[in-house]
Amino acid sequence: MFPTPLAKTSRQWQISYQVLLPIMLIVWLLPLIAVANFSIKPEADFVNGNYWGIPSSFSAFENYGKVFFESNMPRYLWNSLFITIPTVIGAVALSCMAGFALGVYKFKGNLLIFFIFIAGNFVPFQILMVPVRDLTVNLNLYDTKTGLVLFHIAFQTGFCTLFMRNFIRALPFPLIEAARVEGIAEWKIFLYVVLPLMKPALAALAVLIFTFIWNDYFWAVVLTQGPDAQPVTAGITEFNSQFRAAYHLMSAGSIVAALPPVAMFFLMQKHFIAGLTLGAVK
Amino acid sequence: MHSILKTSLAALVAAGVTASSAAADGHALSGELNIISDMSNPAPRAVMEGLAEDFGALHPGLEVNLTIVDREAWKTQIRNALGANPPDVVNWYAANRMRPYVDAGLFADISDLWAEPEFEALASTKGAMTLDGAQWGVPYTYYQWGVYYRKDIFDQYGLSEPSNWEEELANCQTLLDNGVKCYTIGTKFLWTAGGWFDYINSRTNGYDFHIALARGEVEWTDDRVRQTFANWRQLIDMGAFIDDHQTYSWQEALPFMVNGEAASYLMGNFAVAAMRDGGLTDDQLDFYQFPVINPDVDFAEDAPTDTFHIPSGAQNMDAAKEFLRFVTSAEVQTEINSGAGLGQLPVNANASIDDDKFLAQGFDMLSNNAGGGIMQFFDRDFEAEMASVGMEGLQEFMVFPDNLDDILERLEETRQRIYQ
Repeated sequence: MFPTPLAKTSRQWQISYQVLLPIMLIVWLLPLIAVANFSIKPEADFVNGNYWGIPSSFSAFENYGKVFFESNMPRYLWNSLFITIPTVIGAVALSCMAGFALGVYKFKGNLLIFFIFIAGNFVPFQILMVPVRDLTVNLNLYDTKTGLVLFHIAFQTGFCTLFMRNFIRALPFPLIEAARVEGIAEWKIFLYVVLPLMKPALAALAVLIFTFIWNDYFWAVVLTQGPDAQPVTAGITEFNSQFRAAYHLMSAGSIVAALPPVAMFFLMQKHFIAGLTLGAVK
Repeated sequence: MHSILKTSLAALVAAGVTASSAAADGHALSGELNIISDMSNPAPRAVMEGLAEDFGALHPGLEVNLTIVDREAWKTQIRNALGANPPDVVNWYAANRMRPYVDAGLFADISDLWAEPEFEALASTKGAMTLDGAQWGVPYTYYQWGVYYRKDIFDQYGLSEPSNWEEELANCQTLLDNGVKCYTIGTKFLWTAGGWFDYINSRTNGYDFHIALARGEVEWTDDRVRQTFANWRQLIDMGAFIDDHQTYSWQEALPFMVNGEAASYLMGNFAVAAMRDGGLTDDQLDFYQFPVINPDVDFAEDAPTDTFHIPSGAQNMDAAKEFLRFVTSAEVQTEINSGAGLGQLPVNANASIDDDKFLAQGFDMLSNNAGGGIMQFFDRDFEAEMASVGMEGLQEFMVFPDNLDDILERLEETRQRIYQ
């Protein structure tokens, strides 16, 4: 079932593996390489048909300068931040509490509520597009950051609760019992006993949700328009003018927009992988 | 005595001035003027914000509220916006694009404005603003279409700007003999082929026939339509267009012209900025009006026009009309269409334009040499669904000209279904 470790395979296979791996990597990264290459090209290269070649002049400073100083990109980046961070805090806080309740207390309907949280994850979010849009319009939250944040919190809490509940379930229950014997209030047990134990889960979940929300394009397009509320994923199309697509600026903008989640991944790599495998191994 | 006379004379003059300006304005404007604009791209947005601000400054009693909606989103939102609680002024497009809102009674008839003498300067687009014998909006900007060509390549092979179809074909043959394609085009997104049809059809059969076809009054299988395609096919059979053009967007077709593999491009004036960015100088690049095919018909030109309209449910009709007078005046049109603003052509014939050879040629062509009429482009003149099916057919024709009979029958079926 598991592939044979490379060290145990024949010499030829090892060599061909080492040759093929970088090639596959380059093929796989080709679109990204093209975007990075385009972001340092002058606009003339596109008009001249120089799509894959070496940039005719090095325009990284010009392109990135335009992105930062002559467009609404900084505003879109701030919007992304103001949407992502409250969502992460809100979704993680809510799911900790819900997870605690579902994981620690035995009550009628516990399992049913838990299943409803899980079931929510299986709803394809595209079918919610029209009702959610109408709802935000009726609540006067259309085209606001608040509307987007509220929706993301509501939608992400389902997955987060599943995650948190299972994590809390796996904690040694005697710890909680011991605290109860000492006569500690339930909310203090949550705050001082369970929460500190949940740190790895909190970190993993926060990193995951951060990248999910930062990279969200669908809801950004459905629920917001214009630089007042749109996050960077949707705002990047602003570089398209009425007649022309400014590919060099869009490429530079895409690189800038992709940096925070990529940086997040490298800085928090440990937690990220922990988050993906948490609970998978007993 | 002397000073009293002087004072009263001054008062009289002042009264006269006030009276005449009051007559022009009707009365001082008050209340709110709500404008919804689709000028959402950065430069047009700044223009629109400037317009609202200047108009507000001219009428201190008036509160001007401007809402800017994304240009693409506006195409679906306009119906909603015109229906419930409508604003006083909206942006839209000329010609058949107005039809749904005119038929539904959502645009106000502003023929009385067009009857004012100042509006004679806008005559070039009066036809495009007219439906059912009345006018429904005013233009604020347009841009010309025509053939942009590599003057250096033309000079190299001793060619000059063609004025009729024979010269056009002869030029093309010379270019092809020297391994240069006559035209670059990218039909991936279909609309570029619509430009070719507009020109060949209007040059072959005239503006009135073209518009009648657009309105669904002529069969696609009509012999005159077939003549248009026969003329077009002459170019296709020569191999005048670049190969595989169905895989390029209009921007992706530019390199062929910039690199000298193709000599010209039938396009709107917005292409000039891109070609200059690609390194072509004004010495290498020039413009000519699409040549005559049938000498019996007058020039008709594609010049997509962007417009302002008053919803029929507008609350402040006086202020809205005054705003339309404001945006059509020569001074305002000069200012908003300058290079710092929209960088396009003012519609008002008394307006002036930036010192740019392409703008100058375009302005002269549209103001003085478009006697047939101003077309709004295939996808604006034809009904939306007809345009979409039509442009697919045009692209297919350019790639497989032998399918013409099939294509025309398909278009004719669509026409009969849509224009019942």
